[in-house]
Amino acid sequence: MLKINQLKASVVGTPILKGLDLHIRPGEVHAIMGPNGSGKSTLASVLAGREEYEVSEGSVDFDGHDLLDMDATERARSGLFLAFQYPVEIPGVSNINFMRAALNGKREHAGLDPIAAKDFLNLVKEKASLVELDGRLRDRSVNEGFSGGEKKRNEIFQMAMLEPKLAVLDETDSGLDIDALRIVAHGVNSMRSPERSFLVITHYQRLLDYIVPDFVHVLVDGKIVRTGGKELALELEERGYDWIKEGVVS
Amino acid sequence: MSAAVKSQPQLGPQRLLAHPASQAKGLELDRQLQAMFPERTNEAADALLTTLPVPHRRLERWKYTGVNGFWADCTRNEATYSDSKGLNPMPIPGLEAYLMVFVNGRYDATCSNLPVAEGVSCMPLSVAEKTGLVDRVLTDMEHTDWFAALNGKYASDGAFLSIADGVILDRPLVIHHRQQGQGSATFLRHALHVGKHAEAQVVTWSSASEDATGFVNVLTTGSVHDGGIFRLDKVQDEAGAVHHLAMESIDQAANSQFCIHTGTIQGLWVRNDLFIRLNGSGADTILNGAFLPSQSEMVDNHTTVDHRMPHCTSSESYKGILYDRSKGIFNGKVFVRPDAQQTNAYQQNANILASREAVMNAKPELEIYADDVKCSHGCTIGQFDEAALFYARSRGIGEAEAKSMLVHAFVADILDGFGVEEVALEVRHRLAEKHGWNRWDEPSEL
Repeated sequence: MLKINQLKASVVGTPILKGLDLHIRPGEVHAIMGPNGSGKSTLASVLAGREEYEVSEGSVDFDGHDLLDMDATERARSGLFLAFQYPVEIPGVSNINFMRAALNGKREHAGLDPIAAKDFLNLVKEKASLVELDGRLRDRSVNEGFSGGEKKRNEIFQMAMLEPKLAVLDETDSGLDIDALRIVAHGVNSMRSPERSFLVITHYQRLLDYIVPDFVHVLVDGKIVRTGGKELALELEERGYDWIKEGVVS
Repeated sequence: MSAAVKSQPQLGPQRLLAHPASQAKGLELDRQLQAMFPERTNEAADALLTTLPVPHRRLERWKYTGVNGFWADCTRNEATYSDSKGLNPMPIPGLEAYLMVFVNGRYDATCSNLPVAEGVSCMPLSVAEKTGLVDRVLTDMEHTDWFAALNGKYASDGAFLSIADGVILDRPLVIHHRQQGQGSATFLRHALHVGKHAEAQVVTWSSASEDATGFVNVLTTGSVHDGGIFRLDKVQDEAGAVHHLAMESIDQAANSQFCIHTGTIQGLWVRNDLFIRLNGSGADTILNGAFLPSQSEMVDNHTTVDHRMPHCTSSESYKGILYDRSKGIFNGKVFVRPDAQQTNAYQQNANILASREAVMNAKPELEIYADDVKCSHGCTIGQFDEAALFYARSRGIGEAEAKSMLVHAFVADILDGFGVEEVALEVRHRLAEKHGWNRWDEPSEL
């Protein structure tokens, strides 16, 4: 699904990713943890195609295609989804029309006609119930005036609508109370399938109690320095990151 | 409160300075026009044309707006007067309305449909003036603006509408002006009167053929009497290469309401000059506008709201999106005279530069001489919200569509605000065609 080889990337001249390797197979859930400033969100941004980030070396193969060769729109249409750490407010564009444009963009890419209004409405109902997003939030402007939890639920709603092959969740747990965390995790878990992969970026182990990963990677200073199973997350929670950082230095 | 001595402010020609070269050009144009239209004379206007400064760059009101297009050769263009074939007289589909059609400034009776009702008087201005129903009175606008004075002299026709006290015009009146052919010097003058507690909705719609050039100089004089309501939707959709100067000179009496809503879809050179006087307390004015010039188009919105009496309100919102090498100008003057206590005036102007070469000049101008008022204003010029653009693209929405979406969201409140729903729909439709707006801009059927 995703093969990242020796990826190096910088933002305004500062190197952030310094030779990152990561392979994700279909159906797998990978978690990336790491201290602040290790490059977690940079990785998410580079994968989604944010243009401020410059890739200097390495390759990213996404489902047989060169991901780095595609712009942000093409990546999304090919089945990559990024749930934002800080979802953006777009005043004046209704959530529902936004999703219709997104869905039809994807359908156009796949050579399909725009979705019929009735089918679209049914799909919205089905997917919104998954994350308990009520009608009021669907009709409002994209993320405008949403609480932190509502914004994150809206991200998962969008993910459910677009049914990506690979979803990257960038600190989706940040700013969530425990109830919202449960709802978000339920939305993600109900989408797990043998064809769909997840890359869960998080600072804390807490989220991984709900979204149980197959692999946990530790990112330090732009490289993955340790990989293990879900128990690695527990160990990190207990011991912090310093022992790993020390291990890297020595 | 101590009786402070306040100097009486003046909105007047004493600030204006003539420039010899411009003056010569103006007089030359006047001579040309006089030769073309020998039957059109007006002594008062003649006096103003010689004393008022002809617009030039060193006048603050014309600093950003070049007027060279007006000095080009112009014609009477009789040949195209009667040739209204290919013209769609009613530009707004599905609207039940009264209609007055003018082609190059001349009334086209065959295409028109006038209201006939008790208390409603509607006819071409030429007829109203000939029968003595109304006199050519020059307003403050002609006394301060050279182009307005030119209109006072040369406008020979336009719409005349007078609504008697307490009468409500049952349908909108659409005044459609069409510019066609080469170099036509077109003058048009509308006189619109809304009586006490009367109500009227008027739509002025300007169109032009692809090959049209020349200029259109249109002055709308209006009066809204005590408790009257007058709504004016103003749409400018001129193809070709026309210079279009539209002036509104409006007087409002106590407790009256005037709303003007301007949508500029296209036009090579468009200037809107609004001059609204609040002469009675409790009067309320709403003025909104949206302009979306592209290529090398220029759109200028100059507004003046003159608060002369206490307890009046005015609310203004203009939004611009400037594409390509286009240019926009906004100048919003709010004038609060010493007697106009308890004035509540709000002004907003927000603009997006959609291209690196586009230019916007914006200036709020508040002159406040009363001490117990609430006046606020805001002005922004920005670019596309990059974060929102990336967010949309990361959902699979193409860059062009994402931009259209943001643009549309930005002006939606103005576009939705026309007094006549069919006008709002048609403006939206035409903008969608011009800018390639997509499905999401249709009202959601969900």
